Amino acid sequence: MSDDDFLRVTDVSKWYGDEKVLEDVSFEMDRGDVTVLIGPSGSGKSTMLRCVNRLAEAQEGSILLDGEEVLSPDLDVDELRREVGMVFQGFNLFAHLTAVGNVALGPRRVLGLSETAARERAEEQLERVGLADQLDSYPAELSGGQQQRVGIARALAMEPKLMLFDEPTSALDPELIGEVLEVMHGLVEEGMTMLVVTHEMSFAREVADEIVFLDDGRVVERGPPEQLFDRPEEERTGRFLERIASHD
Amino acid sequence: MASATRPATVRERVADADRSVGRLLLVAAGALFWGWLVASWVNRWLGGVLVPVGQPLIPAGAVETAFAAIPGFAAYAADAAFVVELTPELSRGTWLTVVITAVSLVLGFFIAVPLAVTRVYGRFSAWLSLAYTELLRGTPLLAQLFVLYYGLNLASYVPGAFSGVFARDVVWVAILGFTLNGAAYQAEYIRGALESVEEGQITAGRAIGLSKLETIYYVVLPQGLRYAIPSWTNEFVYLIKYSSLAAFITVPELYYRADQIASETFRYTLIFVVTGVTYLALVLTASKLMERVEERVSIPGLGADSEE
Repeated sequence: MSDDDFLRVTDVSKWYGDEKVLEDVSFEMDRGDVTVLIGPSGSGKSTMLRCVNRLAEAQEGSILLDGEEVLSPDLDVDELRREVGMVFQGFNLFAHLTAVGNVALGPRRVLGLSETAARERAEEQLERVGLADQLDSYPAELSGGQQQRVGIARALAMEPKLMLFDEPTSALDPELIGEVLEVMHGLVEEGMTMLVVTHEMSFAREVADEIVFLDDGRVVERGPPEQLFDRPEEERTGRFLERIASHD
Repeated sequence: MASATRPATVRERVADADRSVGRLLLVAAGALFWGWLVASWVNRWLGGVLVPVGQPLIPAGAVETAFAAIPGFAAYAADAAFVVELTPELSRGTWLTVVITAVSLVLGFFIAVPLAVTRVYGRFSAWLSLAYTELLRGTPLLAQLFVLYYGLNLASYVPGAFSGVFARDVVWVAILGFTLNGAAYQAEYIRGALESVEEGQITAGRAIGLSKLETIYYVVLPQGLRYAIPSWTNEFVYLIKYSSLAAFITVPELYYRADQIASETFRYTLIFVVTGVTYLALVLTASKLMERVEERVSIPGLGADSEE
């Protein structure tokens, strides 16, 4: 709760019409932290994630990123998004561009790098996610796992100070999940600050500094993984974890 | 060729021809047609370097003699000679048909893209775009041409820079009419294609910091315009044929010239069969051309025939 928290979410609330999807959500992260949001579907975790880069608009509360108010109406949203990378459940790759083209678009058009510099950076990032041999493949020519790694490289190419992962492995066949988690592990080791929505509990347990359990748009419980997974204080947390475990 | 299901469209028929001997015939016919057209045009522009202006490239008399010499063809010798005599006029008219179609199509495209984009992504402007599209698609093209030509008398207001480019300034009125009308149709085809680009890609574009307009320009349009090619080709083909309506505001294009000769000679059937074949050749060229374009720009990994 120190003043120099890197990301501080305070009492964020959001409605869709009359339906309250987030209610007074609060948590904070230090630079280099990994926070994992878990919860049943419809609990608001993806919406919470999207509020951080303003793909969704929170109506109340405060989100301070590196001391700047994300929810301020005067904020340049495009500049915020330059600094916050996002990885999507459905990959959302640009279908008409090669792997390099996908990754280079941001550096070229948003950061204003030259064609060559943008391509170089894209190649570096694709190597970083283990796709040095697929530089010129189109999304439709890649497996789901490869596509998601391109998605990660695309976000990394903007050199973000925070990475958001929105269920990055949920759309993948089980045998392809590993390669994506491996890349994410690598990022954790490099000290990337990551806010992750996922159902991969073993991944969460391994890498998270804090787990935030959301249900019905509210933070039910939060704490370090060993505490939250092994000694949950709330009954709802326990029930959710049991249900997830029986699916694994 | 003897398949159970008959190909439904010209495109499919042309595609079928690709796989058969028909392809050679088609290429030969195309080469002959365009060779004749271009040679006729060049001859006229250069003041009769091949044959005197107004004369057919091969003398009608020679064709008549040749036909008379072939057993069984003698009965058609006079008709063949008549058709050959038509060719200088038809090639002149075809020039205007080609120019009007091509210019209107290209100009219309540059109006259609913003129309389609505002229709899909605009708010107030979406209504303006819708109103324009419905007005232009919902009223007869001929009536639109009449309003421009007879109603507004636009032929007398052609700006100096454009005046005199064509033998008659009314050609510009026709181009304006077809541009405005074609833009509405093209916008509809492009709108449909833009809507088929996955929403998630737009989100991803915004998430890396592209503005909405940049996302449309770098992500949506490159895909949407590709997806629009097959249906857009329809508009191309329609426009070739609809350009004949320009005859009704006195533009001396292909149909106008054919009609004039027919009313002087009363040989309606023969003249309009030849004219019809000329339009068909233009249409086949257009669809073949667009098929090539579609192949050339198709995205690897996505089925080339996924638009059907």
